[in-house]
Amino acid sequence: MNYWTCTITEIEHLQSGYALLRFSADEAITGEPGQFVMVRGDWGDHPILPRAFSLVETGPHGAILVRAVGTGTEKLVQMKPGDKLFVMGPCGRGYKQPTSRRPVLVAGGVGVAPLLFLADRIDEKTPRPVFVYGAQTSADLVLTDRLQSLASLELITEDGSCGETGLVTAPLARLLNDGVPSEIYACGPTGMLSAVAQIAMRAGTDCEIAFESPMACGMGTCKGCAIHDADGQYRYVCSDGPVFDARQIYGGTN
Amino acid sequence: MNDVLTTSIGEWQLANPVMVASGTFGYGLEYTDLMDISRLGAISVKGISLNPRLGNPPPRVCETPCGMLNAIGLANVGYDVFVNEKLPELRERGAVVIVNTYGTSTEEFAELARRFDQADGVAALEVNISCPNVKSGGMHFGADPAAAAAVTAAVRQATSLPVIVKLSPEAPDLRAVAQAVQGAGADALSLINTIRGMSINVRTRTPRIGPVFGGLSGPAIRPIALRMVYEIYQVVDIPLIGIGGITCFRDALEFFLAGATAIQVGTANFKNPLTAIEIIDQLHEYCIANQINPSALTGQIQISSPNE
Repeated sequence: MNYWTCTITEIEHLQSGYALLRFSADEAITGEPGQFVMVRGDWGDHPILPRAFSLVETGPHGAILVRAVGTGTEKLVQMKPGDKLFVMGPCGRGYKQPTSRRPVLVAGGVGVAPLLFLADRIDEKTPRPVFVYGAQTSADLVLTDRLQSLASLELITEDGSCGETGLVTAPLARLLNDGVPSEIYACGPTGMLSAVAQIAMRAGTDCEIAFESPMACGMGTCKGCAIHDADGQYRYVCSDGPVFDARQIYGGTN
Repeated sequence: MNDVLTTSIGEWQLANPVMVASGTFGYGLEYTDLMDISRLGAISVKGISLNPRLGNPPPRVCETPCGMLNAIGLANVGYDVFVNEKLPELRERGAVVIVNTYGTSTEEFAELARRFDQADGVAALEVNISCPNVKSGGMHFGADPAAAAAVTAAVRQATSLPVIVKLSPEAPDLRAVAQAVQGAGADALSLINTIRGMSINVRTRTPRIGPVFGGLSGPAIRPIALRMVYEIYQVVDIPLIGIGGITCFRDALEFFLAGATAIQVGTANFKNPLTAIEIIDQLHEYCIANQINPSALTGQIQISSPNE
């Protein structure tokens, strides 16, 4: 765990209030796909809590994908290169390394962030990943050119403005029917994660899902980010996750 | 660092008066990558109960203006796991450990005190009679002078460790509680715990905290906490540990001037886990520059005309 005092090096403004923030510190930014960082600007007492973001890039520069949805994220997307950024991480447990099976990455909305990083990290020994990316409308689909270069991209929107019309579950179910041994990596709204987990468990496919939760500390100390697991016990998104085996949360025993 | 910042809480000597508050710093060990935790004046660990507690249904935290609400419900590993798995490493690392204890009855508080009295590596007990997020015990003890005194007396009898009693700002008569607790043998008082508040998600029309109410903390409550430290300083003789929205060295000075002998950093640990360390460094600089010990600041607010 590190607490990096960073400088913003670049802000790539995308559509629909999304921005890709790149930052650097005196040392390399470390972390694996699915791990996250707690981020805050130098803005006084409000908002006081840092925000959790999936890492999208690590190395000499770190990067996070921010969507402006509230006070903290608004402030972040309005920052400028040269501004100070406080970054604590890498936090939590990331995705397992892909094996020799075909990786199927399923992203809903801003859940695209950790999966973009994962797609970028998949090497030649692993079959080319399939990336199913869904959102409400075409304007909410970001960084699709980059995704296209890393994976076979299947876009889907609820209003049909881009790609197929509907939810990510339809292409996912079709894919799993083609008989190619696969493993699923997902991130998105809770409803989507639950639906993806059910499909994966029915198909007997390994599935790792990344959760989001309000949190304060990001490192397992405040016990604020509890979710229920399949046995009705509490799991902590920041320290037990954010990535969980789908069966842990939705499957009970198997 | 050295003895410039040495602080006494009764008989108990501390290297400096800057502590971290219970519930905001886990068991301390989570932060060893980021800092030398032995530099902290003390670590008040997450409230410990006799048995493990799972905590409240989520959501447990939400952000509010200059602060946050929490309703964790004292989720903790329980006495055995704490003593066997956390305390040895804390001791090894030279951390000064205040065990914050939570019981649902006077007997449970006493039993915890008895057990911790025998545990190696505990510097003091902080009796939590002020948690707003549990159904029994907690704040109910802290609201009533007689109940607060009974818990304090039972703990006092059960241990020779310094006993700090953590007060609730929700007590209808906090001065009476503070005096009763002092009379029952407390060595120090820490104040304040959180104040109940709520927040509603207007889109879903649901509370943003699972149990509807949560404890408000952070800079939003600092003026209230400061006022209470000031008020209690007038009516007791035992040292006060000021808590409530302290985020920087200047905030800490305010609490000393109002009457605190030591302070605890809480919510600001989430903002920056190094907050307490930064306050220690700045306080050290300040005390060298002014050739004083922090205790020279306690209660030194200058009021030109009495405000009674």
